[in-house]
Amino acid sequence: MSNAPIPVATASARWVQSINAPVIAALKHPWVESIVRLSAVEDALGALHPLLSLTQVRARVVKVIDETASAKTLVLQPNALWEGARSGQFVRVSVEINGRMVDRAYSLCSRPGARRLAITVKRQEGGLVSNYLHDAVKVGDVLTISQAHGDFVLPAELPAKMLLLSAGSGITPVMAMLRDLQARNYQGDVVFLHVCRTPEDLIFSGPLQAIAAEYAELGLMVHFDESEGRFTPHTLALAVPDLAERSTWMCGPAGWMDAMHAYWQDEALAPPLFSERFAGAPLLPTTAPGTPVDVAFAASGATFTTQGTEPLLVQAERAGLSPKHGCRIGICRSCQCVKTHGTVENLQTGEVSSEPNELIRLCISMARTDVTLDL
Amino acid sequence: MSFAKPTHLSREQVAEFEREVNAIRDSVMNNLGQSDVDHIRNMIRICRASEIGGRALLHFGVGPLSWVAGVMALANAKIMDNMEIGHNVMHGQYDWTGDPSLNSQTFEWDIACDGEQWRHSHNVMHHTYTNILGKDRDLGYSLLRLTDEQRWKPRHWFQPLANLLLAMGFQYGVGSHDLEVGRYTHGAMSKEEFKGRLNRFLTKVGKVWFKDYLLFPALALWSAPRVLAGNFCANLIRNLWTYVIIFCGHFTEGVAIYRPEDTLNETRGDWYLRQLSGSSNLTGGRLFHIMSGHLSHQIEHHLFPDMPAHRYTEVAPKIQALCAKYGLFYNTGSLFKQYLTVMKRILTYTLPPKKVTA
Repeated sequence: MSNAPIPVATASARWVQSINAPVIAALKHPWVESIVRLSAVEDALGALHPLLSLTQVRARVVKVIDETASAKTLVLQPNALWEGARSGQFVRVSVEINGRMVDRAYSLCSRPGARRLAITVKRQEGGLVSNYLHDAVKVGDVLTISQAHGDFVLPAELPAKMLLLSAGSGITPVMAMLRDLQARNYQGDVVFLHVCRTPEDLIFSGPLQAIAAEYAELGLMVHFDESEGRFTPHTLALAVPDLAERSTWMCGPAGWMDAMHAYWQDEALAPPLFSERFAGAPLLPTTAPGTPVDVAFAASGATFTTQGTEPLLVQAERAGLSPKHGCRIGICRSCQCVKTHGTVENLQTGEVSSEPNELIRLCISMARTDVTLDL
Repeated sequence: MSFAKPTHLSREQVAEFEREVNAIRDSVMNNLGQSDVDHIRNMIRICRASEIGGRALLHFGVGPLSWVAGVMALANAKIMDNMEIGHNVMHGQYDWTGDPSLNSQTFEWDIACDGEQWRHSHNVMHHTYTNILGKDRDLGYSLLRLTDEQRWKPRHWFQPLANLLLAMGFQYGVGSHDLEVGRYTHGAMSKEEFKGRLNRFLTKVGKVWFKDYLLFPALALWSAPRVLAGNFCANLIRNLWTYVIIFCGHFTEGVAIYRPEDTLNETRGDWYLRQLSGSSNLTGGRLFHIMSGHLSHQIEHHLFPDMPAHRYTEVAPKIQALCAKYGLFYNTGSLFKQYLTVMKRILTYTLPPKKVTA
């Protein structure tokens, strides 16, 4: 079994790239940029046709499928910049909601190599992006997406026995894997086991039955928690007696996956267990001011531990670092940087925020959890 | 013009004033949304259309009328790019949108002032140390004497001329501001540091000259002189306009100046008071406010530099009412009236101070 990455870019994407890259490089040259800004070119292209862009993968919503009462599949037609994906990978979908750009990761559920992409969005209670995608996005709209990312993928050479295990909306990446296996005409033994609450909550019930009908190698099992009882590692061992022989790909709620991981460890199962953490923005428990927390500067590799209630700028300087700064009172934004991860408190407004990839000012922000900064 | 007197407000009143100003700030900052982004994008669209239209008229127009129209359109684009768009975006007024093209730290504008140097000289120095003599280098731009507290030197006889030249070449004044030539000649800045800054400035000047005085005239072929003259005039108009607006923001009559020692241990409330008494507003309509980049609301801008500027019109009456309540001077007037007081000051301080006879 090899985990070597498979080149996924299609010939047409490579061709577009070869034309596109020099154009972008030229437009980003400071002397050209002082004549015409890249953003102006992008806006002009977007006005000509909403899918046109030199820098962004844009995708038109061509179909919306209601999977369950709370899950919708958006079928997307990407522009030529799309480089393709491997099954199990995700894209970040960016939308502008009330003037603010926000992005969330969604696993692709479509078959790699398919002309169209699909993501399935479960409506989260109070969720900003999932509710927007459910309520505001309709056929014909254009979304901005990232290229595909993620290491939760099928290898080039497949093992003889596999288990695709999922719960709830965690079904999306393993669905892409199943479609991939069928398309690659995988002749080994694959079990697809999905757990959800009731038959009404089953995402992809139609496609799953269709694949099962024409793909003999597939053993399809669905467990309904409400009628059959809570799904535990013990349930799994009963349902898949040859678990110790199967390489497993798993995606589901964090607590559920933790239980499975623990079982794999306890039983010392030999075949690998690959898993995808599905939660978009992990909600970290906020520590009380003054608790020691770790601050990491991702770009420079510097780290330090702080405690106390001082702003990050002061604490970084105390640790011997010298991040760029200016006024030190929250006016000039010289110390503004991207917080990729963690929770900070704005010392001016008292607002506590855990949003990933958020701009913060070091001189008026205090770390309330471990924090990673793009510095 | 002399140093600000200690405030007549008690410490409790200053703290209360701070709370009330914060509440006004929060009332806007907590409901930023689509309309704010739409506003700035609209401004960017109008600016681009104006630049394309202006350059097209200069390049392809026939006759003097189209030339004048082209100059006006291009000047309008440059003014909008500098004032309502560049200045405000670089203050971080739209950083909350997450739109990379509106990011304060990477934005670059069409003027002979390097964006990064502007962020230092303006956002850091001027907005933090507003009207503190010796710290806020915007005070007279190291060129003009505007207060008794600045020592008179014989070169100040030429102050009216210097003022005129600064007005005409304002973009170069702003662009070279962060060089801090004075500090360098006094040995307070290393040669390397100065050379680095000079390089940045000259590179930016090179870029704008290349664009306006070489590339576009060359593209116009036989219309090159027409385009060259048009670009020059558009830049001149932009220089004069930005000069007038900016001078009316801090150099009018009644604006207070501070000593560094008076501003030690400032609370946020003290800082608000200094911003208030160090700035002056201009009255006018919506179009005037937009063309001034809402620096016609200099007071509100200095209180809330990262609030989307088109919201200043909404908070101005509240600030004015607050000033009335606390017995504070809210300096506002028409452009004509305010600029008259600026000129009066420039001329007054041209003369050496009268010897005080015992």
